[in-house]
Amino acid sequence: MAAPYTRRNQRDLTTAERRRFVSAVLAVKRSGRYDDFVRTHVDHYTTDGEQGLRVAHMGPSFLPWHRQYLLEFERELRAVDPAVTVPYWDWTRDRSPASALWGEDFLGGDGRPGDRRVTTGPFAYASGNWPITVGVTDEPFLTRALGHPADPIELPTRADVDGALAEGGYDVEPWDSTSRTGFRNRLEGWRPGARGTARWACHNRVHRWVGGLMVGGASVNDPVFWLHHAFVDLLWTRWQARHPRAGYLPATPPPRGSAQYRRVVARHERMPPFDVTPAEVADLGHVYRYDG
Amino acid sequence: MRRTVLRALFTLAVAAFTGGALAPLVRTGQREGVEAAPPGFDEMYRGRRIQGAGPAGGPLAVYVDGRPLQLMRCADGGWLTPIDHCASYPTPLAATRAAVDELGGAGLSGAAATHGRGPGGGARGGAVHA
Repeated sequence: MAAPYTRRNQRDLTTAERRRFVSAVLAVKRSGRYDDFVRTHVDHYTTDGEQGLRVAHMGPSFLPWHRQYLLEFERELRAVDPAVTVPYWDWTRDRSPASALWGEDFLGGDGRPGDRRVTTGPFAYASGNWPITVGVTDEPFLTRALGHPADPIELPTRADVDGALAEGGYDVEPWDSTSRTGFRNRLEGWRPGARGTARWACHNRVHRWVGGLMVGGASVNDPVFWLHHAFVDLLWTRWQARHPRAGYLPATPPPRGSAQYRRVVARHERMPPFDVTPAEVADLGHVYRYDG
Repeated sequence: MRRTVLRALFTLAVAAFTGGALAPLVRTGQREGVEAAPPGFDEMYRGRRIQGAGPAGGPLAVYVDGRPLQLMRCADGGWLTPIDHCASYPTPLAATRAAVDELGGAGLSGAAATHGRGPGGGARGGAVHA
């Protein structure tokens, strides 16, 4: 078996490594596969007040579903360039629109005033390489509004992350956005009943901070999505290391007749559209590791 | 002839739909979130026409400038749309206004009405359930 590859902090990449990551992403976009990933994310957003299985958000499989999703995207990148892995964005550290993350040679900068169109870097519409073809709006260009100036918000802090990591259990009933404790919802970031910007925590707050397309169902159209979710995945590995006896919950499916029957994924149930279970992706240390 | 009959039926359907939409509108003075069925609305918000209409207790259809916007219910009793995923809003009107806030000048695409319909992405059909 091949040695595990390493996912690195984006701030530590060399100029050449940044360029190779961007080139691989653009190649996956050209092949049409990138838009398949966008479609998968749009198609699997089910809210927790609706009936039916919710596999990607507002439920316990939020973390393993995105782990598998990232892995499959990374496979596409590595088929283009075997030296590339998905870098992570530690938003507790790189907190400014002036960060090198948003540089012209990497993800490009903020959206311009007015239509919030990203006009710099490799994903700017004028480059011709990044048309938005699968989206929930009719605009063909990537949009951002870093810091959400219409209703300003800060990125989550180290203390926010530490609070989530201190949770002793993976998730709790009712296994949705109203779960008051548990690592999963603390990290996913739903805050029922909160007011103002306190409504957005951790993962959700980062989507809000980037703004533009990152706020909606087609957030995958912004390549920062992958760097954000790689950090979320890193935090899950940190939590797992800190709580080695606390496994994925629920361990068994909610019983017939209960409110969550057939609406959440239990430890040994598959996560559509992927043919894997949360238990099977709980430890992928033989595939990849994080440098942090 | 057949076309005329169809047109007449369509007119009747529109009239019935509009009647259902107008009934909740008279309740707009009430506090948000207390009705069993969400109230309809039809207003200009930041230069966009937003409408929410449907029979009392039935599915509420939401539109921005005439294009359908999927409204999804959250476990906390609130609502969200495919345009703004990251928070639950207390009423369909608040969720629709939040979507307009995030749209900027953009219009809705077809996917804004049919989101979350893949395998494992819920069991909804094309209708928007209130």
